Amino acid sequence: MLQVRDGAGETLGVLFDRYQTPLFNFYSKLTGDRTLSEDLVQEVFLRILKYRHSYRPGTPFRAWVYQIARNARIDHFRKFPRQTALEPEMLPPVLPTDSAQEQQEVELLQRALRQLPEEKREILLLCRFQELKYEEIAALLGCELNTVKTRIHRALQELRKAFHQLARDTMLKKVEAAAAENIPPRGGRHEV
Amino acid sequence: MKCEHIAELLPDYLQGRLSAEQHHNVEAHLEQCADCSEEVVIWRKLSLLPDEQPSPASRARFEALLQAYQAGRSSQAEGGSEWWKRAFTWNRNVFHWLRSPLGAAAWSVALLAFGVYAGLQVAGSKSHSQDLQAMQSELAGMKQLVVLSMLQQQSASARLEGVARSTRDQQLDPQVLSALLHTLRYDASVDVRLAALDALSRHGQQPQIHKAILDSLQQQQSPLMQVALIDLLLEWRDPDAPQRLQAFQQAPNLNPTVRQRVLWAKSKLN
Repeated sequence: MLQVRDGAGETLGVLFDRYQTPLFNFYSKLTGDRTLSEDLVQEVFLRILKYRHSYRPGTPFRAWVYQIARNARIDHFRKFPRQTALEPEMLPPVLPTDSAQEQQEVELLQRALRQLPEEKREILLLCRFQELKYEEIAALLGCELNTVKTRIHRALQELRKAFHQLARDTMLKKVEAAAAENIPPRGGRHEV
Repeated sequence: MKCEHIAELLPDYLQGRLSAEQHHNVEAHLEQCADCSEEVVIWRKLSLLPDEQPSPASRARFEALLQAYQAGRSSQAEGGSEWWKRAFTWNRNVFHWLRSPLGAAAWSVALLAFGVYAGLQVAGSKSHSQDLQAMQSELAGMKQLVVLSMLQQQSASARLEGVARSTRDQQLDPQVLSALLHTLRYDASVDVRLAALDALSRHGQQPQIHKAILDSLQQQQSPLMQVALIDLLLEWRDPDAPQRLQAFQQAPNLNPTVRQRVLWAKSKLN
């Protein structure tokens, strides 16, 4: 990073390779929009170039990048306010896995995550996927370490509730669909 | 130990940052408390969420950005002579003026003056061909700045003008291209989006632009834009047109006129 800071643009290529996918996933899980996420990743690297002198050597580079990433997203939505909420159609495709149950769980988890308010989704993404330390997140959000921990716990609580509600709804729908077709749900007895 | 106490320790537990004793206490609680243990389960399940990969075009866009940036830096570094410094400051001033309502007029005047100045410099000495080349590239950079700045204006007519200016060059600069694609997708005014579509479709022979335009079909809410994009699909005879139309037809709340257009386009393709 010091080389980038001192003007060696080529070094930025190495950083791009290292950070493009994590940043893209941060944005896509947060916004549910692949195209926008790619645009924002480009914006982050443009800003790294522009503001590289503001990086202080010795401080965690990853935290600095995510600070830029947060600001880029905030600026984008300030300019272009969102008109629609996240649609389930925007969810990324779930890759086929060994177990159908696991696949269903991933789908439910993605939907539950989308239901969380953005700041709760963001804090979970930062600590679970971007692997930032709580101290780094506290610096990023401008709050106390204990506040970060409380927020993570609350976000997790809410995610659990949303996940279970969705799981229940899905189960009910299946039962209703089965009843409508006059087919007993799996495991149920067929009473005539 | 109660749930409130666990709540304080759980985030550190999840990252394995507790002392052995605290760790043991939390585990003991988790065995008895379904809610808390489910939170841990959910946390672990989050690792199941797939990692997505950005498109390969993303790297190419980054390279273009880097090249444009480095080209800008080197031409800036070459500008050692006095007239060059003056011209450079002048450019910056022009850029500021463009933000004012007098922007367009100021741009024309500045360009004219700049041209005369350049002419005088060249007439004065023939050995300035290198300077001239540098100045030409700087001029191209200025044009680019004008377009980029206009695309960000508050007024829709200024943004329209920005789109119109972007069509004057045969080659699209990567930054202008990126700004136009952004306008195509997110501009609040449908007129500006339509103009951006028109400007971009001139470069539809480039696969990257071709794909980006057609991909925007799924994002457009306005029937006008949807119809324009359907027509473009048909005009380009895109190999993916049938699949794209089929996917688009499934969109909920599709305007009846648009739906008719989709059916018409599909019949034309067959």
